[in-house]
Amino acid sequence: MPSIIEMPELVLENIIEVSDFKAVLTLRQVCRDFRNFIDDLNDSKLPDSKFTKIEIISEKNENKILFDFLDTEDSFNRIEYSGMENSRSFNKKIINLENSNIVDVAIRDLELILKFQKSFLECLSFSFSDFSTEDDSSIRNLPTKLYNMFHVTGRKIKTKKFTVKAHHQFQIMSVLPLADPGTLEFIDLYSLDDDMEVEIDEIAKTEQWKKAKIFRSEFHLLNANVEDICHFSSCALKTSSITARDLDFLKKTYISFSTFEISYFELKNFNENDEISNLWGPASESQWYFRMKDSEDKILRIVIRQDYDIQFDIVKKSEVRNGAIVHNYREN
Amino acid sequence: MSSTEQGTSSAAPAEPTTAPESAAAPEVPESFYYVHGKDKVVHKVSAGALQHSALIHGMISNLGYTEEQAKANPFPFENIDGDILQMVVDWCNQHKGKPTPPEDTNLPKQKEKLFDLVLAVNYLEIKELLTYCCKQVAMMVKGKSPEEIREIWMIPTDAEDEAAEKEAKKRAGKEAAGETAAAAGDAK
Repeated sequence: MPSIIEMPELVLENIIEVSDFKAVLTLRQVCRDFRNFIDDLNDSKLPDSKFTKIEIISEKNENKILFDFLDTEDSFNRIEYSGMENSRSFNKKIINLENSNIVDVAIRDLELILKFQKSFLECLSFSFSDFSTEDDSSIRNLPTKLYNMFHVTGRKIKTKKFTVKAHHQFQIMSVLPLADPGTLEFIDLYSLDDDMEVEIDEIAKTEQWKKAKIFRSEFHLLNANVEDICHFSSCALKTSSITARDLDFLKKTYISFSTFEISYFELKNFNENDEISNLWGPASESQWYFRMKDSEDKILRIVIRQDYDIQFDIVKKSEVRNGAIVHNYREN
Repeated sequence: MSSTEQGTSSAAPAEPTTAPESAAAPEVPESFYYVHGKDKVVHKVSAGALQHSALIHGMISNLGYTEEQAKANPFPFENIDGDILQMVVDWCNQHKGKPTPPEDTNLPKQKEKLFDLVLAVNYLEIKELLTYCCKQVAMMVKGKSPEEIREIWMIPTDAEDEAAEKEAKKRAGKEAAGETAAAAGDAK
């Protein structure tokens, strides 16, 4: 019988192409000839993993890294790397990693798995525990090592939504560049620490930030600049304060921004109510209405509440409070 | 059944290809070629059926053989077993001028035959049939563990493979040493 390994390259390529993603990963484990052949193949010859969601988690207490994968058929797979046991477990099979560093093994695995990602993800999610600087856990380096790997290979992950749950700014900045800016729509930042503050300057410079349409942050953002956030059709964030001039800038931007939906700002304080009245006239129970450019029915509503939160959203003519003034659209 | 096709020279519908060179084909009676495998059994196959094989198609398009010349010069495929060539010829006849279906369930289930067929089909460059065969090969190991796959495909483990390689190297090393010694001798 002819040996399968000695089959011509085209035949092996064909076999890989018609196999499914899991079968190819299994074939890699059959022998080194298969492994080398598969690893040398151009990504385009590999079958699609069809993942819709990938979540990467580091857990300090259990000293673990978890990779969770969800595919189009909603089947869930988890790879678990234990720092305590120095092992990897998948499908109830545990492999001892002996002298290898588990972060390096995890990143190599991820690099391999991502070669099979053809369609884009609905969501790419990271969750990083609070590792302090003196912590000597090897898992602490996960975000930095992820950054380095992607920086070297130049690979970007095509995902619509990007989520980070973090304790430190460096954790966000390490993984945000992994998302492909051309595909990214939604940046969602969760804080695992109530008092955490994030400098927005660095994040706002990324292509990911500039191309995203939706932004939500639980972090308290420092140096939030209205020019940096006015391109989001939907955004929710916390910051110290905002000036009347900046609010007026946002109002002017939004009334000619046809796909704008909602903006929500949670402030520590706001004391420019007089300036706002000078700019927009008197409020009707803390609300102002401005007609959107080129639209009969869409109206921008601005609400400034006493507990320092400000919301911009779009309402229909019929939803305008009785007796309230709707300002006509004006160019400036 | 091929002879009835031969009789009706105006069998134009059998040639649905729209390639420019075949536009004038309905006028010409269908031509036949002959192939044989290791067992020397000669198969008569229409040019239409042979179109599936890029290799044979390339060969015959340059020849311009007459019926007699073709008969006198069957294409020898000494590297293909007779029964395998028969399967290939049957497949080409069945799928002559027809769009190929997405699945083909008539392929051999026996792995030795399937692997031989894969090699023959790859050699003859029959693209669609190769895809079916490769699907069938992939199906053999679907859902199997690496250990099971090794068993099904009779692949040695890396350790066994390394041992065999070491052995081969040792032998090659001895030969190479002999050659260099000889070469050194030549240089002098």
